[in-house]
Amino acid sequence: MPIIQRFLTRFFIRFGLITFMLLALGPVIWAVVTSLLPLSSLTSHPIDLNPANVTVENYILVFASSRGLVSGLINSLIIATFTSAVGLVIGSMAAYALARLNMPNSSRILMMILATQMFPGIVIVIPLFLVMSRTGLVDTHFGLIIVYLSFILPIVIWILKGFFESVPMELERAAAVDGASPFQTFRYIVLPISLPPLFATGVFAFIEAWNEFFFAIILTRIHVKTASIAIAEFSGQYQTLYGQMLASAVLASIPVVALAIIFRRFILEGFVEGAIKA
Amino acid sequence: MQTTNEYNRKRYRLGLWFVAPAVFVLLIVLAYPIFASLVLSFLRVRFAGQGLSFEFNGLNNYADLLRKDLFREALFRSVYYTVIEVVSVIVLALLVALMLNHPLGRSAFYRVVLLVPWALAPVANAVLWKWIYNANYGILNQALRGLGAIEENIIWLGKPWLALNMILVADIWKAVPFIALLILAGLQNIPSYLYKAARLDGANAWQQFVHITLPGIKTTFVISIVLQSIWALKVFDLIYVLTKGSPADSTVLLNYLSWRETFSNLDIGYGAAIANVLFALMLMLALVYIRALRPRQPQAQGG
Amino acid sequence: MATLELININKKFGDFTAVNDINLRVEEGEFVTLLGPSGCGKSTLLNMTAGLEDVTSGEIHINGEKVNHLGPFERDVAMVFQNYALYPHMTVEENIGFSLRLRKRPKNEIQDKVRKVAEMLELDKFMHRLPRELSGGQQQRVAIGRAVIREPSIFLFDEPFSNLDAALRLKTRGEIKELHQRLGVTSIFVTHDQEEALSLSDRIAVLRLGQLEQFGTPEDVYSRPASKYVARFIGTPQMDIFAGSFVNADGLHFQIGEAGIPLPVSFKIPDTAVDVGIRAEFVTLGSKGFDSAIRLVQPVGPFTYVTVDWQGGCVTARVNGVSHMKPKETIKVEIDPEGLLFFDRITEKRMDLQ
Repeated sequence: MPIIQRFLTRFFIRFGLITFMLLALGPVIWAVVTSLLPLSSLTSHPIDLNPANVTVENYILVFASSRGLVSGLINSLIIATFTSAVGLVIGSMAAYALARLNMPNSSRILMMILATQMFPGIVIVIPLFLVMSRTGLVDTHFGLIIVYLSFILPIVIWILKGFFESVPMELERAAAVDGASPFQTFRYIVLPISLPPLFATGVFAFIEAWNEFFFAIILTRIHVKTASIAIAEFSGQYQTLYGQMLASAVLASIPVVALAIIFRRFILEGFVEGAIKA
Repeated sequence: MQTTNEYNRKRYRLGLWFVAPAVFVLLIVLAYPIFASLVLSFLRVRFAGQGLSFEFNGLNNYADLLRKDLFREALFRSVYYTVIEVVSVIVLALLVALMLNHPLGRSAFYRVVLLVPWALAPVANAVLWKWIYNANYGILNQALRGLGAIEENIIWLGKPWLALNMILVADIWKAVPFIALLILAGLQNIPSYLYKAARLDGANAWQQFVHITLPGIKTTFVISIVLQSIWALKVFDLIYVLTKGSPADSTVLLNYLSWRETFSNLDIGYGAAIANVLFALMLMLALVYIRALRPRQPQAQGG
Repeated sequence: MATLELININKKFGDFTAVNDINLRVEEGEFVTLLGPSGCGKSTLLNMTAGLEDVTSGEIHINGEKVNHLGPFERDVAMVFQNYALYPHMTVEENIGFSLRLRKRPKNEIQDKVRKVAEMLELDKFMHRLPRELSGGQQQRVAIGRAVIREPSIFLFDEPFSNLDAALRLKTRGEIKELHQRLGVTSIFVTHDQEEALSLSDRIAVLRLGQLEQFGTPEDVYSRPASKYVARFIGTPQMDIFAGSFVNADGLHFQIGEAGIPLPVSFKIPDTAVDVGIRAEFVTLGSKGFDSAIRLVQPVGPFTYVTVDWQGGCVTARVNGVSHMKPKETIKVEIDPEGLLFFDRITEKRMDLQ
């Protein structure tokens, strides 16, 4: 009897795992596959999946046509890179101060920073939009980067503070006894041994900034439309160019999905664990 | 009497320098706008020539909220959307996490699978589902017809409640992986000796689940529910790409409504009032989160 | 080389008093151990001496000068930490030379000095290895090297052996003692291991709940403990303590249960109630004394500790070599009156009565 029960359990779990995999990857694979088929195949009944028709023409078209995807990708790259870089520099300093430099009320400051994660973007974006349109910051890289820091900085501070706290206190004390100033301790001891998590936090911030849509649609017009905006507009304007629509979605997702997979270890261990442990 | 030595004084000073830039940025992009948004919600904002004119409007914007059906409907739909999303996501994520915590599901491959929907750009996700739901050529209709489940193509995004539920499906699909990862991390933080001890005490699989697994991931659960509620209340990109609020405003949720009132209808004060209602809802959830995370009474140092 | 003086040192963490009014003077070249169980304030005291933590009140003097306001580096102290605290991203060479590099000394001077220190500590073969590629003992030596190269006026050791296994601990203990003999630098050593303290120190400061219980030579704290607490904390096996009273019949005796231990005529009888402490080496098992049942036989190599039921309690005897006694056997117990330590039952302080 226990053998049968064991067998059944394993059977159901295997079945569940396969279902889960199909559901998780199916839509993505479907999008990739159909982005490689010509419009005529997609619009025939049933869809013509003949591998002989596979083509990259959708990709060539979205690159060639002036539909904003190329400049969108470039804008996204610029904005995500600067946001994560600036967020990393400012955020790592603040995280270290909160973790180790005896800031008064540091736990309360941290809770406030965490709570900011939960403000709906719409609350801050209305006043920001008014201020930025008056100062000419709407539709500029700089403006969007500053606004993105509002959600990147809290994440960076939260993750890195957790990491800096795991750096043994004795290391910093040893450096102090060796004659390092607090800044030198940060610069020569703490930063070098934190390079992997720093880099990975940067990657995480990059993904978040790259994927952002809500602020971008409000704060960009023409010049700094991000890839997400380009795709959204494209899907609204050229409703029936399914292949190109999917190709641009795939293109915009490749960098972030690739980064997530390459840095999965950190995202799984660092960020996910960080969210459930205070 | 207590003197702080040179070194500790330097540390303190460095600390101030180190938090200053972050505090400065957050004051500008968070504290100021939150405050300003509150002020705006009491104003009537009009376009006057090149600029804007502001005039005090008392509680009228909030009174408008109560008067307008669309707000009430959006609020109701937002609550419906959030409840369904949270329940579905938590249940599915728990299932996935349990499977991935089982020896058969331990392979790193499954975790990579989870990361794909999570990392996907939200707009790409929306476009992807727009294609799947496509009434004429979408795989959903074709598959259901192939199976004989339906005879006519269904216009998935064309009927009021159906459209909202289809948006929910797309959102749940993208949200499950992250919560599953959270719960999985929670499961793995349960020390294995607890299970060994329970087995020695004769507990069966179900008893182990109820007495060890569930209490072990209680905090993770609360956090997941709060985070997911907040994200569900913020939904925007899916609506923007899939329906733009149609049909007949049946997919207009709070966040979308606030955006539309502010940036399409240019009723900035009213939009801000809606935003503040949303803010209040989320703040309550945020407080729950902070309570759940608050560490137990810190111990005295020494030794 | 330097003297160190701690004057009325207090440290509070909120409501918790970690260090309570401690006074201590360490002479030039002395090796002093701060000894006590965890939570007694010994590490806090060391950190305050180093300048890593501020004192709540009191003064710290090095070489007669007040240093409260100085940071660790300006106090010219070097420290060896519990978990070595080696910089994980630096090689052995870089770890040892870090303090000199911070001071911007010329490259060749740094190299020479590092090489000399490494040779002294037999680390010269591992100069380019990272800490994680070293054994525990080697890491410990790098930590010492990092302190030695500073040529500080005071060495501070914060339980440096706690991560080593038993054999290595003994070896490193010897190395530290040799180092101190060679360099003669004033040293403060923190440990909870009384044997370590006894074997290394010129003087030992025994701490209890943030207070200084006794400050004396190893012989003092072992043979003339200031209190019951010190007496029980120091020495293996732990001292046995009995309540009893003085009886003057057939000469002066100290009566514990039915056993009367004869005392010399010169003995000063106190007017308070006393307890008596008995160390294992003053207990003889054999043909004289009271019949007692053997409870526990613990051979430790050169000795065997035999615990017997005695006068409503237990007393442990140290027997030379391997004993063939068995539990439940009966044996006679005799106590050497010379080894008795008397404590005031109320204040728990030791009384000099003999």
